[in-house]
Amino acid sequence: MNASLLFFLFFALILLALLLLAARSAKQPSRPSVDAFESLSQSRHCSRLSQIQQALRPEDSEYLRDSGHAGLMHELRQQRRRIALMYLVHLQEEFEMLLEISRALAVMSPEVVGMQELERWKLSVTFAINCAYLRWRLRLGLQPASGFTLLSNMATEITRQLDNATTRIAEATVSGAEQSALGRKKINGF
Amino acid sequence: MVEPLQLRDLAWAFTTFVKCALLLQLVRRKFLDDYPWFCTYVASAIVQTLVVAIIYQTPGLSELVVWRLAWGSQLIVVCFRFQAVVELIRKILGAYLGIWALAWRLLFGVGVLVMANSLVFSKGDWYWISVNVDRGLELSMAAIIVTLLLFARYYRLPIQRLHLALAVGLCLYSTFFVVDYTLLEKHVQQFAVFWGFLDVLTYLATLLIWLNAVSFYPKLATQLTPPVIPKELYGKLSSELNLRLYHLNKQLSQLFRSEDRHW
Repeated sequence: MNASLLFFLFFALILLALLLLAARSAKQPSRPSVDAFESLSQSRHCSRLSQIQQALRPEDSEYLRDSGHAGLMHELRQQRRRIALMYLVHLQEEFEMLLEISRALAVMSPEVVGMQELERWKLSVTFAINCAYLRWRLRLGLQPASGFTLLSNMATEITRQLDNATTRIAEATVSGAEQSALGRKKINGF
Repeated sequence: MVEPLQLRDLAWAFTTFVKCALLLQLVRRKFLDDYPWFCTYVASAIVQTLVVAIIYQTPGLSELVVWRLAWGSQLIVVCFRFQAVVELIRKILGAYLGIWALAWRLLFGVGVLVMANSLVFSKGDWYWISVNVDRGLELSMAAIIVTLLLFARYYRLPIQRLHLALAVGLCLYSTFFVVDYTLLEKHVQQFAVFWGFLDVLTYLATLLIWLNAVSFYPKLATQLTPPVIPKELYGKLSSELNLRLYHLNKQLSQLFRSEDRHW
């Protein structure tokens, strides 16, 4: 087997697999964009971050061990980890919703910045990886704090990008309206 | 027992018949105006079949001349197919002004990169140059179509069943051509007749996908346009996002201060 044969066969097989995936997914009905925008008004899970952090602090449950209730402390920590896992699921849903809105904005936007789209794509991949990593850390009872901060950073970054995009769209709409008004004025003044 | 050569000739004849039926359907359902390059590609494929048949029947032509004419005509057909792919991309993404600018750059980049890689990994012999360019173009087209479909999937863009069938047909044939040809080049020269039969069969399957799509899938009279959000909603959305940004930043600044003390 030489490099040429390996390259062409491997590449062709990868393309066939991706074609199957893409063609199957293309049949899925697209989510109405207005729904995504409406979901912005729902409550945010990110706002519960500090409570979750507080619940996962060791000093928050260590007093139980000091008072001779080590079993109770372990049970409490397990319960809090379960809550943190549920929180993580909701955080992921919120992140997905923000991504959905970003996509809808990009589709409706008269101009899309490639680097920002690429950055958002990288963020979503990193978020998925970190989310899975953090989930396993929680299940194994390891330190989750830095992971939560990382995920929160990503959500913030996505929100910042969305804000930039909406501002650009709003500016384009206003400038379009002004130009058409100017055009009308010129026609009337002619 | 039927010889492989006879089988291939039968398949070739049937393929030509299906190509003619496809062109007839394209004309009958008035696809010429909306899909001119795809129609030109199908017509050129029929002409190529006739040209190659005449070349093979003409006595006195050297093997090299026959080879050059056959692969040269194939290059012309592939160029038309490439135009058909570009046409399809425009049909699917053209309505979305914002992402179209990003998409065409991405697809062009993918096409050039795959083509360059194909040529790097191909044989250096000049005798194979047209074949290698042909294979590179086929692989490039397949990569472009897959990227297009993934791109559309990422942005949740609706794709008409007709467009999807045309894209899948184009991609399937291109990919199988690359596989068939790579195996022929390296390992199965002695089974060239059988290889030719497999190639024709792959093409036949693609033609049947297209014929089915062109005959039964609806052709939308107007192109789908993306939804437009009113100005008031932009304003509402913008302020909502600003509020979220403010809350998140506030949360984060608190988190940064307390991170070291965590469990």
